[in-house]
Amino acid sequence: MGTEEDDGTVYRTQDEVSLLRASLDGQTEAWGEIVTRYKDAVFGLCLGFLRNRADAEDVTHDAFVRAYLNLRRYNLDRKFSTWVFTIAANLCRNRIRYRRNHPVMEVEFEMEGSADPARTVAREEQQVRVREALGTLPYAYRTPLVLRFYNDLSYKEIGDILAIPEGTVKTRIHRGKAMLKEMLDKERGAS
Amino acid sequence: MSLDARDSLDELLRETLRQDATGASHAVAQLEARVLETLGDRAPRRGLWGSLKALVAPTRAGRWTQLAFVGATACACLLVGFFLGDRLPRDRSPEPVALTRAAVPAVKTATAEASDQNGVLFILPAPNARVVSLVGSFSEWEPVPLTDNDGDGIWTTQIPLSPGRYEYAFIIDGRWFGQDPSADDYVKSFGEYSSVRYIGGGGGA
Repeated sequence: MGTEEDDGTVYRTQDEVSLLRASLDGQTEAWGEIVTRYKDAVFGLCLGFLRNRADAEDVTHDAFVRAYLNLRRYNLDRKFSTWVFTIAANLCRNRIRYRRNHPVMEVEFEMEGSADPARTVAREEQQVRVREALGTLPYAYRTPLVLRFYNDLSYKEIGDILAIPEGTVKTRIHRGKAMLKEMLDKERGAS
Repeated sequence: MSLDARDSLDELLRETLRQDATGASHAVAQLEARVLETLGDRAPRRGLWGSLKALVAPTRAGRWTQLAFVGATACACLLVGFFLGDRLPRDRSPEPVALTRAAVPAVKTATAEASDQNGVLFILPAPNARVVSLVGSFSEWEPVPLTDNDGDGIWTTQIPLSPGRYEYAFIIDGRWFGQDPSADDYVKSFGEYSSVRYIGGGGGA
């Protein structure tokens, strides 16, 4: 029978900085707890950026591996989420470039059904249209929208992650939403 | 429901993105195990500075021994550097700072006699150069070759110039050399320096 430390339960109650310090000491189980805490946020970011589940899964894995190996570059006084999101965003950008030369035969984006039975059919239809429109939105406009509306980040944090000025973030979010709205209105007008 | 209201689109975006991630979250259900398996026994990388710090100060007892080791390594590197530096072929182009106005005037301005001898003599010491040319406002920045007929590493050309202001630079084996120590002035344009020479106390070129 393993000890608490072996199965990682000892780390579940520890604060983030303690976990990061333990990770720096080479305690990979502590890093496992960090992965548990951030994997949904990082995966959602990657999925929103890449619009492909398999790619998002790969990049999320790679982001946590890379973050751990480069953990000494991380400044413990700064927000960890911003740092790990930056790594993930950079890996997504690389994957997008790779996909330009190595496109997948069919874009895979299968989602499970809604968990909320009360959701109206009309709302689900709108979500399907938004999903499709997001897929056709240029990458530079899609990424700030994902960070804003999925990760709930400030303009400043988005700018830090994407390495663009805060003003550009605001412009891209505004313009991205306008493009989305235009696409949705056009589709609604056609149907 | 209409999408005209801005808040509605915001909310729809938020819902869609979250639902997408939730619906596919089974993809990362075992992510911790996969990440830890990939990492194995690896520890975070130290980086160059971290490695040096670890080398210098891991324990009090071994500190002086390791400092001595680092010092000896640095000395060995310096010795190897001196040894190789003495034997490796030198850079083909001259260092601009190595030229002094007193030692070798790069441009000899035209005097009354010089005018009689077909203008201004441009001189550049470049012992290991293969091809040297001169470009300037007097040639519409087209290269004018310099020659070293006696092989002494002093490259020359003579260009007839009327009094005026001229910008010029040398090109040594394809490298721009715009800061002639004997120039009257320098200008920087497009990120490169060019030398300026006034002939006969003239103004514009």
